[in-house]
Amino acid sequence: MKIRARGIVPGRASSMAILSPAPFSFVGGVDLATGSIADAATGIAGERLQGRILAFPTGKGSTVGSYVLYGLGKRGLGPTAIVNRRADAVVAVGATLAGIPMVDRVDVGGLRTGDRIVVDASRGSVELPDVKGKRVVTAILRNRGQILIVRRSEKVGTFQGRWSAISGHIEGREDPKHRAMVEVREETGLQGIGFRSAGDPVLARDGATMYIVDPFLFDAPSRRVHLDWENVEHRWIRPEELDRFATVPRLTDVVAAVLGPSA
Amino acid sequence: MRLTRAQRHLLDEGTDAQRKAMEILLTVGRLADASRLVPITSAHVSGASFKLIGEPGLEFLEDFASSARVSVPTSVNPLGTDLAQWQALGIPPEFAEKQARIARAYETMGVRPTFSCTPYLLGVRPAFGDHLAWAESSAVCFANSVLGARTNREGGPAALAAAIVGATPEYGLHTDEGRQPTVIVKIRTKPRGIDYSLIGLVAGERVGDGLPFFRGFRATEGDLKWLGAALASSGACGMFHLEGVTPEGRRARVKGLKSITITPDDLTSAKRAHTDGTEADLIGLGSPQLSTEELQAIARLIDRTPPRIPVWVFTSRLVRDGNPEAVGIIERHGGRVLADTCLEVTLLEHRFGTVATPSGKGAYYLPSLCKQKVIFDDLETLLERYA
Repeated sequence: MKIRARGIVPGRASSMAILSPAPFSFVGGVDLATGSIADAATGIAGERLQGRILAFPTGKGSTVGSYVLYGLGKRGLGPTAIVNRRADAVVAVGATLAGIPMVDRVDVGGLRTGDRIVVDASRGSVELPDVKGKRVVTAILRNRGQILIVRRSEKVGTFQGRWSAISGHIEGREDPKHRAMVEVREETGLQGIGFRSAGDPVLARDGATMYIVDPFLFDAPSRRVHLDWENVEHRWIRPEELDRFATVPRLTDVVAAVLGPSA
Repeated sequence: MRLTRAQRHLLDEGTDAQRKAMEILLTVGRLADASRLVPITSAHVSGASFKLIGEPGLEFLEDFASSARVSVPTSVNPLGTDLAQWQALGIPPEFAEKQARIARAYETMGVRPTFSCTPYLLGVRPAFGDHLAWAESSAVCFANSVLGARTNREGGPAALAAAIVGATPEYGLHTDEGRQPTVIVKIRTKPRGIDYSLIGLVAGERVGDGLPFFRGFRATEGDLKWLGAALASSGACGMFHLEGVTPEGRRARVKGLKSITITPDDLTSAKRAHTDGTEADLIGLGSPQLSTEELQAIARLIDRTPPRIPVWVFTSRLVRDGNPEAVGIIERHGGRVLADTCLEVTLLEHRFGTVATPSGKGAYYLPSLCKQKVIFDDLETLLERYA
């Protein structure tokens, strides 16, 4: 699979990914003498950066991080590329000083330590050659501050019995928003929904498959839902209640992509 | 980003440092979606205290200085100690040596060795509408708000890159739209003394990276220096307006903006929140460095009520050299007037545990940067308490 990314520092690199799910600081986060990760909160403490592509959501902490990254690069101990959800100036300037290719606007939550990964910061793409990408849309329907979730039937191909939002596969080159509206009509029978916003894609990982989820937010004029065969049950809930349900992977993040992190 | 022919030339055929500087500006510009670079009249770089930037910073600056030369007037932030008095302060020689190497690296690049966080007090001031690339948050706030010059909150290397190229990415506070307020902040008290710092601390916490439009009080330029420094510490603000006082207040669009109120109670609780010490080992004055007027006023106060604990007064070399009488008075009463450095970027933790200060920025940073407990109060009150 290959997805779009925003190039921050030009260049290209191909190697194994190491992922910190937590925000990362090069000050205190890495040992400058050896280039190995020192911060236990990353879950990859002890891993060496050298020859690896480092993925983390965003930078944090001291501005000295730029100089540390420069020093790592100068010693040949730095990562071969950096992938972020949201690049910050400290890491981006450090990567520039060190000449390390960097991209952002990638949902690193879908990456795994050990993934083979190709970063092309000059063209703005990230590729995982061993992972199969499936593009799906998810429609978050909102009515009076509550959102619609549905429980998937035993007849659907994946995630039977789990709670989900209205979703469906994108076929061919069709417009994702159009697909989302078709799915809403088919799965709920709701008419006259109003488009509100689209969120950045969320990468939901399931082994060697990556669901590339395009999230959309619609306002529903009514709560009267007529389910089709794909779902067996529905509920209108407050976004913060999501964690009480056994959901499909990363549904909370999909909701947050259109409603903000409070959800 | 659209580049001029000269900028393109620097990127393709400049010296190593010029190419790297252009790359830094392109990176910063990409992050901000800027479409071009705007020429600047001056730069002010941060990242000079060895205590803060350490070995990694020293290494970068020395490497960079081999080919980097600034192309516009450029000043630099305070160091980690006074280069002339470090021995008397008990600074370890290794620290002083590395600090001096940082200073030399900047001088090699053509940076004026001001070692000051108050570049607006050192003679030449930016004019209204000038574009700048300044990195010291308190100076950024002053330049934008009080002088009407235009600068974002630059990081140290980005400001240095802008100094080399003579331009900086155009976005944010460089644009008319980016200088519009995002929130009205009403003040329900007549401020005096540290109230200006307290207003800044409280407002910064509440508005985050917003741009406040203050209403309801008057202030001198000196007062706004303390307010802005505190605001830029607790918040990510690069600018504020004060109705009827700051030069762009009249152009500000405030209709429909959310409004918040700061009461005397808010100031009292902020003062309490930033005081965790009981007995001070040192009175620290500065942060930002003191102006001539402030230094002279402090000398008069100390002469009237000499304290029994040490007083360290932080100012620029220029102001120190220009005021030998005030310096003499403070030293006669056992105090020190330190130049080249400032309160929270200097080495205090090797000697002191609790610092008393009337600076909001100092009170904000002393616990984390200097491992100090803080007593935050007006200078008059502190001098009487420690008389």
